[in-house]
Amino acid sequence: MSSPMSSANGLVCFTNCLLPQEDGTLLQKDLWIDQVRGVILDAQRSFYLRKERPEKVIDLGGNVLSPGLIDIQINGAYGFDFSVFDGDEETYKGGLVSVAEKIVETGVTSLVPTIITQERSLYPTLLRLLRPYSSPTSANLLGWHAEGPFIDMAKRGAHAPSFLLSAKEGFRSFEDLYGTANLADSEDWLMEDSMGVRIITAAPEIEGVMQAVSELDKRGVVFSIGHSIATSDIATSAVRNGARLITHLFNAMPQLHHRDPSIIGLLGASPHLASPFSPITGQPYSPMQAPVPKRTHSFKLSVPVTGSEAFDDVVTPPQTPLFARYRDKKSPPKTGENYDFMRPFYELIVDGIHSHPNSVRLAYSAYPEGCILITDAMKILDPHLHDGVHEWRDGKRFVKEGDKLYLEGTDTLAGSVVTLDKCVRNFTRFTGCDMGQAIKCATMNPAKCLGIEDRKGTLRPGADADLVVLDKQGYVQSTWVKGRELWTRRA
Amino acid sequence: MRLIIRQDPLAVGDYIANYICKRINDFAPTPARPFVLGLPTGSSPIPTYKALIQLVKDGKLSFKNVVTFNMDEYVGLPRDHSESYHTFMFREFFSHVDIPPVQVHLLDGNAIDLIAECKAYEEKIKSYGGIELFLGGIGEDGHIAFNEPGSSLASRTRIKTLAYDTILANARFFNNDIDSVPRMALTVGVATVLDSREVVVVVTGQRKALALSKAIEEGVNHLWTLSALQLHPWALIVVDEDATAELHVKTVKYFKSIERVQDEVEEHQARLKVKGIVEQVGSME
Repeated sequence: MSSPMSSANGLVCFTNCLLPQEDGTLLQKDLWIDQVRGVILDAQRSFYLRKERPEKVIDLGGNVLSPGLIDIQINGAYGFDFSVFDGDEETYKGGLVSVAEKIVETGVTSLVPTIITQERSLYPTLLRLLRPYSSPTSANLLGWHAEGPFIDMAKRGAHAPSFLLSAKEGFRSFEDLYGTANLADSEDWLMEDSMGVRIITAAPEIEGVMQAVSELDKRGVVFSIGHSIATSDIATSAVRNGARLITHLFNAMPQLHHRDPSIIGLLGASPHLASPFSPITGQPYSPMQAPVPKRTHSFKLSVPVTGSEAFDDVVTPPQTPLFARYRDKKSPPKTGENYDFMRPFYELIVDGIHSHPNSVRLAYSAYPEGCILITDAMKILDPHLHDGVHEWRDGKRFVKEGDKLYLEGTDTLAGSVVTLDKCVRNFTRFTGCDMGQAIKCATMNPAKCLGIEDRKGTLRPGADADLVVLDKQGYVQSTWVKGRELWTRRA
Repeated sequence: MRLIIRQDPLAVGDYIANYICKRINDFAPTPARPFVLGLPTGSSPIPTYKALIQLVKDGKLSFKNVVTFNMDEYVGLPRDHSESYHTFMFREFFSHVDIPPVQVHLLDGNAIDLIAECKAYEEKIKSYGGIELFLGGIGEDGHIAFNEPGSSLASRTRIKTLAYDTILANARFFNNDIDSVPRMALTVGVATVLDSREVVVVVTGQRKALALSKAIEEGVNHLWTLSALQLHPWALIVVDEDATAELHVKTVKYFKSIERVQDEVEEHQARLKVKGIVEQVGSME
């Protein structure tokens, strides 16, 4: 290959740049990559052992050289909706690839296409089509994120009520729905040496879901708590069983109540929550003995509006924590149990609309290490789309006003259209954190949550050379995948 | 021997870097006839390295045809360890200049046969026709490379046990845990340094003042190994004001006067060289 961006010996040195470190700081340092293998190099080893130094040196003029951004929840972009499958597999694949090719302009080099609740027969096919994909000319599609159908009617957002399900047979129900092959143990799931991730958003209070969490976790599927009205006890149990993520925190879940802070409260959980040695007043929740609450009440369902899938249709009054009566007050903590409690990662939509800046800062202050920025964007996402009235679907039109989307003639928000690089910029303003820390929330933290932090979201030697150059204000200057520059801001 | 006194470590670094730059450029090295440079580690040479890097970035100097030999390396410390001299040299210097990796030589402190490693190192230096200029620093006890007090002044490259002082001084780089400081190092010998055609030593800071005085105001002494430099025909010590604290006023004044005369002599010699009358601009001593 002999593009102008190639180096004679395949090695490139980025110099005069700031590198985000894993502790959230920015360090002035060079970065060496190998364009042939598409990986980041241990510069010192390359120098002394391989006896090579980069033929090509790129001066970044003091800009930030970050790992490429990772979006683990995105519903579509550039007019393509990951949740819409019309039966033609080639068209669907073409749509996926086109999003992966275009999205690099927003600094994203890896994404997890997210599908909202589908008619159940579609899952095996859709999830098969969403197997990991990478090409030299596009961002990496890492796998899939399935939101629903095991979610709570009360917090269903834009998910179609008639498709929501319970999981009466626990993990079996999950297999029946998503397809056995799609939930295979991660070692069997991908035959070749490819990296793939699977995320399921479900509500642990739904019948059978709690019993499936540990098996999903065992098989390498990330269980994310979302679209749920789980009580603190249930949410805690889910995490103890292996849930490692919260889907779009604050959205589609009960508001924070101090007596039962529910899912949001997990951010405040102590690592010694269940320790028998602390003078705690209430009895800790024991996942093995806790009854799974039965749904005894019914909700008044409003007519579903096409809106942001992350938004609540039903407001849960925080004054009456649900399921309180199911709290098991008698089960004592078992001895020999591991009492260390690991708080789950949590997703934040940082468009300034889906979560107020103060809420963003509150969550981040509580648990910075768990924070993951997502766009949760709709298919309308396209940084080139101008403000004004646009056609949508079914003859409906929407009004775009910056990052706000309204159905025409209403004040109903129609979803998120923020780009991930803008989320990073917003995040520094909302929280007052450094750019390095904001970057970490869109690179290292999501990679850690997915267990791929040796390959993605990092500048560690051996990791994929997926990179984004940001100026000091956080605007994307260029995007690199596997050591090749795929996008450059036109001067 | 000449002693150059500058205000502070930065000025010392600038002086030495410009001096080396001039030497390399005057030498006009080629792939067939490279400039062979001996290099130290430690905090004193860092300003020199920074200044050299700037000269390379400004296009005034290139290391394309320079071959380097480092003075020493710890024994048993992984090459990638943050305190290894491999790491130091890469971080502080090699990564920032245009030197080809094959032209860089460091002792391998993890070699299976350490004695053979040392012998091979001496041979390698010889194969390049010896070292043209050896840049060095000193320890508080006056050691040059790891030639601790009591080292033979005729020593060659070999395994050396570190003095307790040095281990204590290095402990700060190993979480203040004396037990994790390497006890041994491979180092070029005093004679290896003296064999090079020119020696330039950087000495900065009050803490090095006593060593400097012992090295240049007293006799040649194996307990202050830098003093062996008095036997070298072409040696230059560059110090900052702090490092002169233990010197006699007389000594300082004497060397300052030498510097003025040296400049005049060098200018004169350079003119002769242009005319092809002399080979090399050298020491007046």
